[in-house]
Amino acid sequence: MTYSNDQKALIMLSATDGYNARKKRFESVDRPCELYDDYTVADNMIAKMEKSGIKVLTIIDEDYPKTLKEIYDPPYTLYYQGDRSLFNSNDLLAVVGTRRVSVYGKNIMQNFATAFIKSGFKIISGLARGVDSIGHRISLENDSPTVAVVANGLDICYPSENADMQKRIAERGLVISEYPIGSKPLQFHFPERNRIISALSQGVFIPEAGDKSGSLITADYAIEQGRDLFVVPGNIFSPQSAGCNKKIRELQAIITLTPQDVITALGKVAKNNNVEAIQLDFASQAIIDILKDGALHFDEILQRSSMNIAELSGILSQLEILGAIRKLQGNNFEIIPLI
Amino acid sequence: MLAKTKSYALNGVEGYEVAIEVDLNAGLPAYDTVGLADTAVKESKERVRSAIKNSLFTYPIRKITINLAPADTKKEGSHFDLAIALGILIANEEIESQTYKDYIILGELSLDGTINAIRGVMPLIISAIQNGHSKFIIPSKNAKEASYISGIEVYAFDKLAEAADFLMGKSQVEPLKTSEFVSIAAENKYSVDFSEVKGQYVAKRALEIAVAGGHNVLLIGPPGAGKTMMAKCVPTIMPDMTFEEAIEVTKIHSVAGILDDSVGIVVNRPFRTPHHTATVPALMGGGVNARPGEISLAHNGVLFLDEMPEYQRRTLETLRQPLEDGTAVVSRAKRTLEYPARFMLVASMNPCPCGNLGSKTQECKCTPSEIHRYISKLSGPLLDRIDLQIEVDSISYDDFRSVVANESSASIKARVEKARAIQRARYEGSKTKTNDEMTNAQVNTYCALDKMGEALLKNAFTKLNLTARASTRVLKVARTIADLDASESILSKHIAEAIQYRSLDRKYWD
Repeated sequence: MTYSNDQKALIMLSATDGYNARKKRFESVDRPCELYDDYTVADNMIAKMEKSGIKVLTIIDEDYPKTLKEIYDPPYTLYYQGDRSLFNSNDLLAVVGTRRVSVYGKNIMQNFATAFIKSGFKIISGLARGVDSIGHRISLENDSPTVAVVANGLDICYPSENADMQKRIAERGLVISEYPIGSKPLQFHFPERNRIISALSQGVFIPEAGDKSGSLITADYAIEQGRDLFVVPGNIFSPQSAGCNKKIRELQAIITLTPQDVITALGKVAKNNNVEAIQLDFASQAIIDILKDGALHFDEILQRSSMNIAELSGILSQLEILGAIRKLQGNNFEIIPLI
Repeated sequence: MLAKTKSYALNGVEGYEVAIEVDLNAGLPAYDTVGLADTAVKESKERVRSAIKNSLFTYPIRKITINLAPADTKKEGSHFDLAIALGILIANEEIESQTYKDYIILGELSLDGTINAIRGVMPLIISAIQNGHSKFIIPSKNAKEASYISGIEVYAFDKLAEAADFLMGKSQVEPLKTSEFVSIAAENKYSVDFSEVKGQYVAKRALEIAVAGGHNVLLIGPPGAGKTMMAKCVPTIMPDMTFEEAIEVTKIHSVAGILDDSVGIVVNRPFRTPHHTATVPALMGGGVNARPGEISLAHNGVLFLDEMPEYQRRTLETLRQPLEDGTAVVSRAKRTLEYPARFMLVASMNPCPCGNLGSKTQECKCTPSEIHRYISKLSGPLLDRIDLQIEVDSISYDDFRSVVANESSASIKARVEKARAIQRARYEGSKTKTNDEMTNAQVNTYCALDKMGEALLKNAFTKLNLTARASTRVLKVARTIADLDASESILSKHIAEAIQYRSLDRKYWD
């Protein structure tokens, strides 16, 4: 692929730190190619990018996504790996939230994200730990293309444990970054990249967000860019839900109680998310009854049931496989709530 | 005159014969030791001289040359003293003996002529027997240890003079009587018992399975959940050591110098808890004298690594080889030693650095990256060798106060022994002893599943996010559960239970 001098100039410009600095330089000239005389730097970068299959879209390109062009501060360059048709998809739903997901948040994600995907949405998120990773993971598990917008050069992976996930998203979805290769995940990159997530999406869904969560920045961008903001209310004592509850009190977000709230608000038809009715035998039903009042430790279930350890272990595994219960940390078990 | 006494030297847990040649020459009084003797051997000069003098013999005022043959291997330790002293006395014709060449002589001397205890009597004697020797002179402080070996004549002495009198035929000394291992074993009990562990039913069950199949086990739980207490109880449910096993363990402990001289043999399965600051040589064996490390001292018993992620990564990784082949190889500059190290690994860890992750009562204060870093300290290949990972929680107050009798170690042990017997019968004629040691071919033969079992396992992997490496592990554990159940084939309920013991494989840790 060959790039024009204008495009090369924008690639070189993208290495400048800070959006405002880039904007100033971009607006100081009529055409970007007037910014530089020598394009060896850009040529070197392009050569490196081609080796790792990284391509770039610039703001002067025809197929630069319209949704981004409309916002106040569109990125001048979009480095990407994967399926570029997703840039202009009308089905992108941003799912962002806390990095420290509680069991409540995990439950929401499991139910909601699956329902979104089944109704035809594709999840766009930031590849961070917690909610972001879960969203991407559920997408990959359901063979649904997903979009990750990262805050560093595409040759770097952050957080490192998501390296494998990033690779898989690049193969079956789209990984995007505003920053050229070699850029580290600097602190100020994260709020900047959040505007891309919200801009590319039809709406922003936040299952759980703490008081100082970065996902609230995405939420603010969503409102500024005219996207719908959906939040799930949480326990008023839970720090992981403080941000969501705040948005509700400020009347900035749509209170979301079921996946259908999001799906219908964005004009899609909700598909039935219910798992087929599970046929349980007598022993399994007894365990479900014991677990009705909340999560219990293995030993507590054992004491309340009339089974021995071997029988109980077997039944718990089978219920887990059926998808009726779930094992939590600390050898606790709980029923998977269905909405 | 030239005298040639015989002694033995240690190389790991094996001994080799050392001929001690003493020659008295004309010349200025001197004492020279040749034959690559280390400092402890060279210093024997002073001990030997004083011991001879204080035993009322005459020390020859001549040039004494002592050669330790074979002359090209390094000899260490103080246990040549007695053989050297007797050699000098014989060379000086203080002792007239025709029989001294029949004996292997072991013992360290004190300045007053007392014979002190030495390390490694049992391995030395056993190696000597293998080389055709049958008569021994040893310190009486090591008599207990030597008395478990039958079919040989062992004479134990307190004083140099007594040994000299014996060799001259001046005194009649009876050889040691053989001690009965069985009666000693019955007298020595463990100080802990599973009946003292309240609650923790699932953890106890997991440990029972682990011991029954010889599996390694990892206990995950908050501080104060009783992980250490339960680990200490593990040896109490292991089958009693056979005499052969006890000898193996005693040899290693004897070489390390930690044998209880009043019992003389290790009857209880060892329980070793190296501290998490332990270095590689401390764990694997090594140091200047290439002593056995903690993993060898835990041979036939339990190696307990408390707070496993706190150990240095490098130290933990060295465990991989011994876990695989049951030996610890120690390489020194001029030699390579092999110590047996077939142990059951019991490890414990907190679920996160603060210990409260997943707890119902305490809040975890760790960040996700801290937790991730903590968990990832355990490498995949090492976790691969740990079949059961079980989470334990602090027990409730009710459980703690409960007076309901918990099952005793003895009754758990009875079940374990039954399961072990089934395994012995199954693996007869192969190197495998327990389910844990099954080869891939054996897994295919003995862990065949019916259709329902196959379907269950497949579902478990897709639905529960189990990693692929868990597959064989689950099968092996399921085999043990089936053995405990006295079931010929592995049923789906056995698989289902085995799945419960793969906590770390679940990806809910992110």
